Amino acid sequence: MSTGGARAGIGLKISTVLVLVFLYFPLAMIILYAFTTQSSSFSFPPPGLTLRWFGIAWGQEDMWSAFGLSVLVAGAATLVSLMLGSLLAAAVYRARFFGRNALSFMVVMPIALPGIVTGIALAATLNEFGVPFGYWTIVIGHTTFCIVIVYNNVVARLRRMSPSLVEASADLGGSGWQTFWWVLWPNLRTAVLAGGILAFALSFDEIIVTTFTRAQDPTLPIWIFNYLFRPRNRPVTNVVALLAIVTTFIPVLVAQLLTRDPTERGSGTLAAAATQPKT
Amino acid sequence: MTTATTGRRIAGFFHRHPRGRLLLLLSPALLWLGIVYLGSILGLLRYSFWSLEEFTGLLSREFTLTTYAALWEPANRDIILRTVGIAALVTLLAAVIAFPYAYYTARFTSPRMKTFLFLAALMPLWSSYLVRALAWRQILAEEGVLLWVLRRVGLEGAVRLILDAPVVGGPTLITSRISLIVVYTYLWLPFMVLPLITALERVPGSFLEASSDLGARPRMTFRRIVLPLAKPGLVAGSIFTFSLTLGDFILPTMFGGSEFILGQQVYVQQGVVGNDPLAAAFTFVAMAIMVVYLLLAKRAGAFEAL
Amino acid sequence: MNRWWRPMALIAVLALAGAACAETTKTVTGSLPPVASTDPDDPPVTEVGDGEGAVNIVAWAGYIEDGSTDPAYDWVTEFETNTGCEVNVTTAGTSDEMVALMQGGGDFDLVTASGDASLRLVSGGTVQPVNLDLIASYDTVDPRLQDAKWFTVDTDADGEAEHYGVPYQWGSNVLMYSTDAFKNETPDSWDVVFELKTLPDGKTNDGRVQAYDGAIYIADAALYLKAHSPELGIDDPYALTLKQFEAATDLLRQQRELVGRYWHDAFVQMDDFANGEAVASSSWPFQVNFVEGAGTRFKSVVPKEGATGWADTTMMHVDAPHPNCAYQWLEWSINKKLQGDLASWFGSVPAVLAACKGNELLTDEGCATNGEGNFDQIYFWKTPQADCFEPGAGKACVPYHVWVTSYVAVIGGR
Repeated sequence: MSTGGARAGIGLKISTVLVLVFLYFPLAMIILYAFTTQSSSFSFPPPGLTLRWFGIAWGQEDMWSAFGLSVLVAGAATLVSLMLGSLLAAAVYRARFFGRNALSFMVVMPIALPGIVTGIALAATLNEFGVPFGYWTIVIGHTTFCIVIVYNNVVARLRRMSPSLVEASADLGGSGWQTFWWVLWPNLRTAVLAGGILAFALSFDEIIVTTFTRAQDPTLPIWIFNYLFRPRNRPVTNVVALLAIVTTFIPVLVAQLLTRDPTERGSGTLAAAATQPKT
Repeated sequence: MTTATTGRRIAGFFHRHPRGRLLLLLSPALLWLGIVYLGSILGLLRYSFWSLEEFTGLLSREFTLTTYAALWEPANRDIILRTVGIAALVTLLAAVIAFPYAYYTARFTSPRMKTFLFLAALMPLWSSYLVRALAWRQILAEEGVLLWVLRRVGLEGAVRLILDAPVVGGPTLITSRISLIVVYTYLWLPFMVLPLITALERVPGSFLEASSDLGARPRMTFRRIVLPLAKPGLVAGSIFTFSLTLGDFILPTMFGGSEFILGQQVYVQQGVVGNDPLAAAFTFVAMAIMVVYLLLAKRAGAFEAL
Repeated sequence: MNRWWRPMALIAVLALAGAACAETTKTVTGSLPPVASTDPDDPPVTEVGDGEGAVNIVAWAGYIEDGSTDPAYDWVTEFETNTGCEVNVTTAGTSDEMVALMQGGGDFDLVTASGDASLRLVSGGTVQPVNLDLIASYDTVDPRLQDAKWFTVDTDADGEAEHYGVPYQWGSNVLMYSTDAFKNETPDSWDVVFELKTLPDGKTNDGRVQAYDGAIYIADAALYLKAHSPELGIDDPYALTLKQFEAATDLLRQQRELVGRYWHDAFVQMDDFANGEAVASSSWPFQVNFVEGAGTRFKSVVPKEGATGWADTTMMHVDAPHPNCAYQWLEWSINKKLQGDLASWFGSVPAVLAACKGNELLTDEGCATNGEGNFDQIYFWKTPQADCFEPGAGKACVPYHVWVTSYVAVIGGR
């Protein structure tokens, strides 16, 4: 990446570190208080440390089923929104039709509007059509705002891609499928991955829309929210948050490693050169 | 071989009929968003043109604008302005904090470091929003770590100063508006960082070289070249920070003073109160605010270069 | 640019189609989201058949314990063994959430509704009348609660009120105070939260007081005025004429100057007290029991003016998918042991007075500690109605939605 010949000033480096500290200090506190001996309050420094809450959290069956439900919901929402969002991005990025602007708007709406609006509106409609609330209604709610995440990422990448790539591939005799797999996909996959990861994160942590579209089984955020109303064992929520961080860190890391952008290796392939930002 | 030929025929058909391809690609998402989502929003908005009869509290389905007139009452106006103000401050603060990080990550790092920093900004989203908010309560408490540290270094007076400030102050750290703003900023920061990184990556290195060749100092290059080109990323991130703040109703119960904000009003009015017209009217206001914001964002090019 | 309007038209048509489809089958008040109206010709449940295998309940946290929080507190396992109905509890954090869940599409059978939500559920057609003949133990319920106005309503105007639920428990709001601030004195009046005063520790109560952020708190102000401004003629603090209402909101505006924070969440309030930020506030026995320093640094009292209270009722959804299990739970919910355990856990008073004696967890003093003797001084939450709870009597009171908008304004400083 060209920097115009300049090197990063010390100020910039310090700022970056500070931002990292800002981001992670509260997480460190979450981890710290997962060990505190106090059951209902959180003073600093904690009077003692214990592993008790881990044992309790491990044995909470309802927490595990909530966790599982969250994973399943986020997974389904991510998959569906990946499909819909990518299709939408493919349709929109080059075509010029006036409704395109309206479409861009409409796609952003679920994110742009307060979650409670989405929740109430969807709940009313789903109820009207007699759809029984449960797993699928939660997925429907989440997909609605996940689409825009995928769409944003994919459309940005598509716009950076030269259209001549597709034509060149066709000229060279590639079928539709070959063009897709060998030309389009390598360029798109990091964008799709980024969109998917972000969508998964958003869905996993969502609480407001879920409240309105759920039936009995809680997702993890709702489980945590309800747990907060109990008088004792409050550090268990800290343990659960820690669990969420740890378990999602691994697949994210793996996914990122698996799909490293070829341009980052500075390879000299046509594809890499073609995806450099236009000067 | 036949499948390949059929495939080619279909592909060829769509190549020659771009609108057909368009429709095929669009229709699933369109159906979804158009009917289900937009339809339900419009259905909700119908209520804003109705009202509750003043005395019986029953819903009257006659078209009226009195509910919107009610929005203009000082208390409700306050709510709207207050919410917009907080969202704006959050967006500003997030932009200021995110920028150096994104700039450094986008332009001055090796690919491996960039991946690391990119992921590092993303990871906090994985831990629960509620628990992160709670962590801040624990940090900001009178007996919490922030004040403990500040007391040790003798800076407690600085806290008093901030708390006495107008608009953002409050009786204690947790009940001050500034803490509400800081916590929102913290929660939505990854949403601002990521589009900024993407946007800053797109700034062509040759522009910067040319700028310095022409004699501009780094600061001027930054102001004249980098910042304008980063604008789409800033605006894209701000869409998230703004709208997420606009619609939240959980955090104000934990931080800040007790004044209500927009999301809470929608929640409360549609719940036990049963004042669905007013809830719908507040919803409409939130929508209008975001539509205006999106229009401005589009003008600033956010949609083009996410 | 040719025929650019086609996609736009398509979108618009689809959206309007969706909106038109959202035209609902109308309920009594047309409240949102839509719920099928109760058909008066449908026969009420006349007998309890075999259990359907499950029962789904929306409840406040801690209301339905199965031993997982504390093994000593379990009133679910035995029920499940006896009836074969598996109990699925969905916790809700606010009355608004309960209303949303019950009106939504989830298959809920029962809800433990507080007095501010119960009437809304009735008028929204969301809950069905309970056939009391099927609840064998109903007459063990405290007679003072059996026909209470917040769940016993004459909806079909036939002169006979229907019971829309079974009482579960009740409690009163209390004045929680810091012993540090009050030294050895026990405050005996709500004036410590309504009027500027100097407290026994030498400082004023300015900024050290809290108040509930729910609009129903206006009734507490009205209650205060009932004692201190008798010329206003306030009798029922939930049935206020415009003049009485305005006097109450004026008092609250005065109180606004003193309030450090309006509390919404029990834990937030407990932290505020433990941190020393608040020294006096209306509160629930829950906070009084669980705050750090309960009993020593913080105590509670029901002041001489009386207090508002809450009484929760278990209500049944109009389309309950498991009515037999639901009825079995309703009957189970008022058994002596459950009632005693619940009261002990919550710091509340059982709906069945016999539960006060002979319960290990509650002990024989438990009911008195939790305020059973205060019943006559307690004014239980009910949603203010425009007809002052006397339909056809020609009276006019301020309805709840006006309470809400007014209180929001007060808190906002208007």
